Amino acid sequence: MENPIQTVMEKVKTWARVNSPWAIHFNSGSCNGCDIEILATLTPRFDVERFGIKLQGSPRHADVLICTGPVTLQARDRLVRIYEQMPEPKFVIAVGSCGISGGVFEGCYNVVGDISEVIPVNVYVPGCPPRPEAIIHGVVELLKSLQN
Amino acid sequence: MDTQELLQKAEELLREFTETTNQPEENRLDVYMAVENIKPAVKALLIDGKWGYLSAITAMDCPDYEIDETTKEKVAVAGKGHLEALYHFCEGAAVVSLRFKLPYDNPHLETICDIIPSASFFEREAMELVGIIFDNTPITARLILPDSWPEGVYPLRKTFKGLDKETKGE
Repeated sequence: MENPIQTVMEKVKTWARVNSPWAIHFNSGSCNGCDIEILATLTPRFDVERFGIKLQGSPRHADVLICTGPVTLQARDRLVRIYEQMPEPKFVIAVGSCGISGGVFEGCYNVVGDISEVIPVNVYVPGCPPRPEAIIHGVVELLKSLQN
Repeated sequence: MDTQELLQKAEELLREFTETTNQPEENRLDVYMAVENIKPAVKALLIDGKWGYLSAITAMDCPDYEIDETTKEKVAVAGKGHLEALYHFCEGAAVVSLRFKLPYDNPHLETICDIIPSASFFEREAMELVGIIFDNTPITARLILPDSWPEGVYPLRKTFKGLDKETKGE
């Protein structure tokens, strides 16, 4: 049988995690379209702090990696390094068509492919670029999946 | 001066270096030259003639093609054909392109960075992507390609069909 204190602690941790997902944003080769939408998402107009979402400067302080664009040869090692710097448990949201499939950059001479070829992805947000509402929806879906 | 007069003036300035000319559009003039004329021609046009500014340097790969018997597709033949460097100068609506044909086995051109320092970026781009060698160019460090890219592989050559998985590190 499980330790009851441990069970309670897990519940508290999940509660904390769901109510303050700190994010880091990384562009692994995007055209900047998705990045502009992510920046718009973080403005008071969309007010993501009501979900406790906050952008962090360092991957060491972040729970969620919001990643845009296909992965280029040059960005691959950097993306993996940033992912590995994040403390467990960590989650990845791939924003935009390119992060999902490589998009228009698929097959380019310096492109590895989509983000899931390099690091595990939890949530995909489609769109070219996705609207801020879609990105918020993606984060909320991630938080919902954590609660279960 | 209207566009036609500008083009005429450029043609006169470049006359002594010109091999052939071509006017692909009303406001454009292509001037084909021998490789060794690059520096005197740019000097004559830009410095002595005070004609326009350097808009871009582009590079092209023009291989010979043959039809593949099995797939019926047009494929580039390795080592046959030529590379081409184009120096585009603009003044108003007029565009003059100096064009240099370079053989694959000796694709050397003299740099123009001592006349136009900002040409360095264009030259580095052409060096990396198409493999034209600019003699005496001041900076030869990587500009666009990733650090892990193998030496001597030029992605914008027609014979380039992508890196193999091993070099890409997959």
